Amino acid sequence: MPKHPSSGQYAIVGLGVVAGQQPDRSERMIAAEAARLAIKDAELTPKDIDGAIDLRRTGGGGDRASYVDAYSRILGLNNCFYFVVGRGGALAGLGIATALSFLDRGIAKYVCIMGAVTDWSQAQESRKHGHRGMAHAEKAGYWGKAVGDLRAVSHHSWMAARHMAVYGTTSRQLGAISVAERAWACKNPEARMYGRPMTIEDHQNSPLIAEPYHLLDISLVSDGGIAFILTTADRAKDRPKPPVYVLGQGFGEVSADLWWEKKNFTHMAVPRARDQAFGQAALTLDDVDCCQFYDCFTAEVLFQLEDYGFCKKGEGGPFVESGAIGPGGSIPVNTGGGLLSCYHLGDLTGMAESIRQLRGEAGERQVKDCNVVLTSGHGGELISPGMCSIHTSTLLGRYQ
Amino acid sequence: MSNEPEVIVSNEPWNKPLPNIDKDNEAFYEGLKKHKFLVWRCKTCGASYWPKAYCINHDNEPFAANMEWVEASGRGKIFAFNRHHMVFHPGFAAETPYVYALVELEEGPLVSSTLVGSRTPKDVYDVGQKVVVVYEDHPAEGFTLPRFRIVD
Repeated sequence: MPKHPSSGQYAIVGLGVVAGQQPDRSERMIAAEAARLAIKDAELTPKDIDGAIDLRRTGGGGDRASYVDAYSRILGLNNCFYFVVGRGGALAGLGIATALSFLDRGIAKYVCIMGAVTDWSQAQESRKHGHRGMAHAEKAGYWGKAVGDLRAVSHHSWMAARHMAVYGTTSRQLGAISVAERAWACKNPEARMYGRPMTIEDHQNSPLIAEPYHLLDISLVSDGGIAFILTTADRAKDRPKPPVYVLGQGFGEVSADLWWEKKNFTHMAVPRARDQAFGQAALTLDDVDCCQFYDCFTAEVLFQLEDYGFCKKGEGGPFVESGAIGPGGSIPVNTGGGLLSCYHLGDLTGMAESIRQLRGEAGERQVKDCNVVLTSGHGGELISPGMCSIHTSTLLGRYQ
Repeated sequence: MSNEPEVIVSNEPWNKPLPNIDKDNEAFYEGLKKHKFLVWRCKTCGASYWPKAYCINHDNEPFAANMEWVEASGRGKIFAFNRHHMVFHPGFAAETPYVYALVELEEGPLVSSTLVGSRTPKDVYDVGQKVVVVYEDHPAEGFTLPRFRIVD
């Protein structure tokens, strides 16, 4: 099949990252700073940016207190639109899909897509009142809080548990994912866990949080912001940084099944998303040089390795235990350290790392001859018990 | 075996998140107070749903007109579970660690709650146990929550 006419016609030309704990800054200021850095990275000015998208998790995956302001106002962008997009951790992929329709019709030339969080700072506050983890607003339609379903790990751990019960997967195998991502993080000075190597024994000895999950199966709680500038391929060629082309995108939804469909506790909504993205790009798995998979917990990485076809369903455990996804492995996964060991800014964590890998800016962790990166987003819990509903798949490339 | 449902009456002050009762599920919570576990069933084809949904098997005009809350068996089996060791909310400190189970009802849907009693799965690979619903009344608060007990 030839590639879709849209494949390679849009590109990322600027990246801005604000990483690390930000106790003295609001989300609004982090957002504006990330956007300013992305504009600067593209060697553009705020007046060149004619569209602004704000990525927020509201609409699934933990509603946070909102705020009424726009980074576009703070920075003085010359935008003709600003709005919020996002579903749980599925942010950057949806942001790209949305921005394309504005670029395609000439409504905008350069769209800034930005997401910022202050989860770590907010957690420090709620901890003073005896709560642990992120502070969430109550959501209508959410079943489980009164009976102890208090955090994402309260139900996500069922997916790990179910995979273990059905396929015999072990906690050590899940731990191998954490160990591999930590090894990558130790090559990334921006990562929260840089300089803190870990072993499988560290994983096994870390406290049980919601068994089978140990502390080291669970992603970080972070502050920060990531922004990127999307434009058309013809404009991208005039920008100073190597363009990162959007080769294909696809989407899947667990909610297309009855929500208690049992396979959704051992699978993610990958097949449609995968086939759409790879079909548009006319690529196969063999073309992928590294993956930036959404890794809110270890089992999500295992599921995606199986669901995309890097190994057979049920064989993810031995596959990761063999060292396949770490430095020197056959398919590098989450090369910046991922949500588990770098920082948790939803799928923007993987998006930023994809851009750096494709530009050749990944330093010690650079994947050799990195031409194609598969990056995914995930989020939007359905009811509860609920697994995350949406899956987004984005193929990015160094060449059109 | 008795068909009388097991009821626990709790007069402890409620210091946890309140159940999320709204227009869609108030009939379900009223059922719990009467010690009945209701599912949302299609009068046309008999399919059971929880929570509320449109019957996906055929048109039903006007919207969901052929659906009703009916009493279910209150029986099922453990599909998956976890054991919470961390106190995420201070109201749960006294009962942590607790087993939070995903239960496959005899009628099909999955429902979650905590287990009561001393019988719990021995490890993560140990699933499929039969369970029955236990009604936990909170009279001072005006609601009842479902829990599950492992039975033979």
